[in-house]
Amino acid sequence: MTTARSPRRAGWRLLGATIRPQRTGIIIGVVAGLVWTAAKVTIPTLTRLAIDRGVIADEPGALARWSVAMLAVGLVSAACTGTRRYLAFGIAHRAETELRRRLFAHLQRLHFAFHDRAQTGQLMSRAATDLQQIQGFVVLIPITVSNAMTVLAVAVILTLTNPGLALLALGALPLVNVAAKRFSSRIHPVSLELQQELAGVSTVVEETVTGIRVVKGFGAEPIQAARMGERTVRVYERAMRAARIRAGFMPVLDFLPALGLVAVLWYGGHQVLDGRLTIGELVAFNTYVLMLIWPLRMTGMLIAQAQRAVAAAQRVNEILSTEPEIVDRPDARPLPAGGGEVRFEGVRFGYVAGAARPVLDNLDLVIKPGEAVALVGPTGCGKTTVARLIPRFYDVDDGQVLLDGVDVRHLKLQELRHAVGIVFEDTFLFGDSVRANIAFADPEASQARVESAARLAGGHEFIERLPKGYNTLLGERGFSLSGGQRQRIALARAILADPRVLILDDATSSVDPTKEHEIRGAMAEVMAGRTTIVIAHRPATIALADRVILLDEGRIIAEGTHDQLLAENERYRQVLAQAAEQDAA
Amino acid sequence: MAWMRGAAVSEEDKLTREQARHVIRRAFSMLRPYKWEVVGAFAVMLGSTAAILSGPALVRYGIDRGVRKHSGGAIDRAAIGYLVVAVLALVLSRAQILLVTRLGEKFLRDLRLRVFDHIQSMSMAFFDKEQTGKLVARMTSDIDSLQELVQQGLVQFVTNTLLIVLSVVVLVAMSPMLALLCMISLPIVIVASVRFQRSSNEAYLAVRDRIGQTLSTLQEGLSGVRVIQAFGREEVQERRFTQENQAQLDAQMRAVKISARYFPVIELASVATTAAIVGLGGVLVHRDAVTVGTLAAFVLYLTNLFEPIQQLSQLFNLVQQAGAALAKLFGLLDTRSTLPERVGAVDLPAHGDIEATGVAFSYDGVTPVLAGVDLRVAPGERVALVGPTGAGKSTLAKLLSRLYDPTEGAIAFAGVDLRDATLRSLRERIVVVPQEGYLFNGTILDNVRIGRKGATDDEVIDALRMIGVEERFRAFAEGLQTEVRERGSRLSAGERQLVSLARAALANPEVLVLDEATSSLDPGTEADVEGAMNALMEGRTVLVIAHRLSTAERADRVVVVDAGGIAEVGTHEELLAREGRYAALYASWSGGLAAAS
Repeated sequence: MTTARSPRRAGWRLLGATIRPQRTGIIIGVVAGLVWTAAKVTIPTLTRLAIDRGVIADEPGALARWSVAMLAVGLVSAACTGTRRYLAFGIAHRAETELRRRLFAHLQRLHFAFHDRAQTGQLMSRAATDLQQIQGFVVLIPITVSNAMTVLAVAVILTLTNPGLALLALGALPLVNVAAKRFSSRIHPVSLELQQELAGVSTVVEETVTGIRVVKGFGAEPIQAARMGERTVRVYERAMRAARIRAGFMPVLDFLPALGLVAVLWYGGHQVLDGRLTIGELVAFNTYVLMLIWPLRMTGMLIAQAQRAVAAAQRVNEILSTEPEIVDRPDARPLPAGGGEVRFEGVRFGYVAGAARPVLDNLDLVIKPGEAVALVGPTGCGKTTVARLIPRFYDVDDGQVLLDGVDVRHLKLQELRHAVGIVFEDTFLFGDSVRANIAFADPEASQARVESAARLAGGHEFIERLPKGYNTLLGERGFSLSGGQRQRIALARAILADPRVLILDDATSSVDPTKEHEIRGAMAEVMAGRTTIVIAHRPATIALADRVILLDEGRIIAEGTHDQLLAENERYRQVLAQAAEQDAA
Repeated sequence: MAWMRGAAVSEEDKLTREQARHVIRRAFSMLRPYKWEVVGAFAVMLGSTAAILSGPALVRYGIDRGVRKHSGGAIDRAAIGYLVVAVLALVLSRAQILLVTRLGEKFLRDLRLRVFDHIQSMSMAFFDKEQTGKLVARMTSDIDSLQELVQQGLVQFVTNTLLIVLSVVVLVAMSPMLALLCMISLPIVIVASVRFQRSSNEAYLAVRDRIGQTLSTLQEGLSGVRVIQAFGREEVQERRFTQENQAQLDAQMRAVKISARYFPVIELASVATTAAIVGLGGVLVHRDAVTVGTLAAFVLYLTNLFEPIQQLSQLFNLVQQAGAALAKLFGLLDTRSTLPERVGAVDLPAHGDIEATGVAFSYDGVTPVLAGVDLRVAPGERVALVGPTGAGKSTLAKLLSRLYDPTEGAIAFAGVDLRDATLRSLRERIVVVPQEGYLFNGTILDNVRIGRKGATDDEVIDALRMIGVEERFRAFAEGLQTEVRERGSRLSAGERQLVSLARAALANPEVLVLDEATSSLDPGTEADVEGAMNALMEGRTVLVIAHRLSTAERADRVVVVDAGGIAEVGTHEELLAREGRYAALYASWSGGLAAAS
């Protein structure tokens, strides 16, 4: 039981912690709500007084007096309803905003291994749907307090006026609350299912439109239409199921208060005849019963909403309580001056803890300051892993990785990452200008520096030709570049950072071989005096390196210059030939 | 409550009166098959609204005839009447929800199927022009906003409107003078509601925009997290996100402010009107112009009148949004396909040659992609198309399968112009296998079945066996029933390619147009794909867009496409001997290989 309950409690704790900084707003909101309640419940009483004293008894000045009083109370209630609404939504939106900020900041700091496992879509739904559920709960807090008070006040007033009638009028109303809660919790899963079916429809549409050449090529339109037909039927069924639930509850929610009104009319009418109740009181009873419908409905909804909010908070909390694994140690050291010597000592590493065969096994490797080394090997040999251990994206299972003589785990992470520049195989560019993308490491960089980095990466010419040159926006809503162009911008981004160690992980694989030739001269300039690790398979690129290391199954199986290996090593020739056949395509 | 989330429609999407009329007319014409259901639903709504409205009237009867006249019987009658009306309302509003939703959902189901069929019937040129996202949005967010209206707002919208209109009628009928008195706050309410509707629409649009931006920044922060960490830029990204986040909050608070200003106005108007009715109405009672019961009924009616007004002002945005969505959908349905089947189209003969005569083509009507292409491929012949990227090879392949029609010239199969053929027979004779194996959600069997509608499991398995990959897929834990997941992500690129080839095998066409994959596969799969392709090509007319030297070498004839025309035709050996473009291409290919080995 404790295991099931403690994450739930953690969810509540998170909710509490989120709204605590806003207690002033909550208190004012609740107070405004209470004043509103007081004003609200006074109005039917004033109506009663106006009817009994003014209309029926015709006391002089009574009509005017009570009407004006109603108007005055109306002003108060109007002012309070505005204040309460403003504060309630304000608190809820602020809580949501703050949680979203925390979530983002935390996700930014979580280790690579977390992001390898997590699905972006899942994380996005934490930030969108779950936070909305929490918001939807927080917004109800002030109104719930005043609703509860309304119910209490009305019950007291009616009981004081006429206990018997009060019992008859209000007797059925608690059922409204029960029905509302049951309705809310029954409709919720069905509407989720409906949402899912709708998502299913969009999947069919999406894949049909993107795969339209296949669909048309095989004349498979009827097959897709049939799938669509199935989907729409399922949507229809879910929608009707939701409608049946609504049809089952909503009219009942209206019917129960109506029973109270029948009681008031019948029993109350007879009481008036007997002189035990005034006409004004009869009308007031009527209005009071009507006044309770909404508060009772909303309280039911609140309970259901609270359950969803806690479940959502639980999921959000799961992320927030995941500790980042790659962080500065308490005694983290600054990076000493050095030429960028990289050393692997007996390194063992696997992405999955306890996997039968680690990706790297007892790897020893020394790359001298300023040296350019090419890592070559078939897919899955571990070359990308070598590259990713140097900037400490992952921690080794055994052995150590050292930069200029210091274990990377002992270095300040920020300094390490600034000292090691990496260009990934799959290029990620931000939805920002070309300039901002290149100057990512240093947004203050001068235009001259940006351009020189772009030149070295062989990107300056094509960037100049873009519609707005360096100010051209990239990404989803901006200009879309070819794979080779994207890689060159990523390369410029790493060059501008001016790292001590530069790692190019298949960074020019999409660049047209004829164009790569243009970059090569400039690359030599970038690599001069800088420790560089190149993962590549094109002979021309490999030739840039001083030394070639052939990796296979997580071990070094040969090393030497390109020409040496080409002449002496059969496996090396195999690996390159395979890559070339693929590249020629 | 959808309207609490805030629906909104942008200025450019707003319909003019003329457009709105057109959309409504068209929507009603789509509802014609359900004519009687529409009438029934409306009658039920009218009935349930009337039932709700008769409550206060019965209270009036009870007070005037019962209490004032000291008649217990009248009170009993009023109470029984009230009970009957309440039960009636219970039954009718139940029926109302079911009828209106059923009608709306049927309408949406028809609309979905029609739009989808229509999209599928469009020509390739249409898909080149339209962005995928936009088409998908028609079928998703646009129809979903209609769904939202049907599920959440339609009943409320209609009944609230009825309630307001009928209330006014009843009030005027009961006492024109008091009814007139009720109208004193009406101008303020109307002005405030219209202003609220407009400004809240604007505010919600801004909120929607901001939410979109926050989410896309978030998405970027997640997909780019590795780059961000590699450059140690976490804090900068966080600052950037915080700004977006704050901007979203600001937009939301503006929307809150607008509603926090509007709601008090309605509440005050409601109380003020009640005060006026009681105060001035009281004077009228003294003058015997109205009865106490009427006064009480008015007070009760007023309690019910302002709530619907408030809801309507919010529902209006939802209705406008749905109207805009519907207009866009009708717009899509009005776009005609440029590749329709001709009237009197004939089935293609079972066998024959394929011949292009004087074919020219341009995607945009300005820049020619192909010009003056003449090519005849004999039955059973294997032809390789080679040439640089953008030379027009793929375009030629698309024309051969009539994904497009040539701008000039003609393509014929067995002497029949493809434009005169039925689309069904065309798809049976000529099949294109695209470069990447494109898979749909579903099992491996489902995906192969795309090749021929209604194929039995055995036929599908035969197709897999024919290209020699049955065992490979059977070896999966769930075998041929393995769900391939989104875009076939469960399978490797090579396996997807194999499924795509099996599809072609199932289709069993006379002519096969193969676009060879350029992406690299692992050596094992590479061999399987190669074997599958060879098995598939056996005994068919084949046009292959070759990216591999070996493929060109093995073809009966090589066609070099360059700059939109056929540059050279001949066997591999002939062309090598000619020392033209093919020879040059061959040299650069084998040169690349030689350099590596």
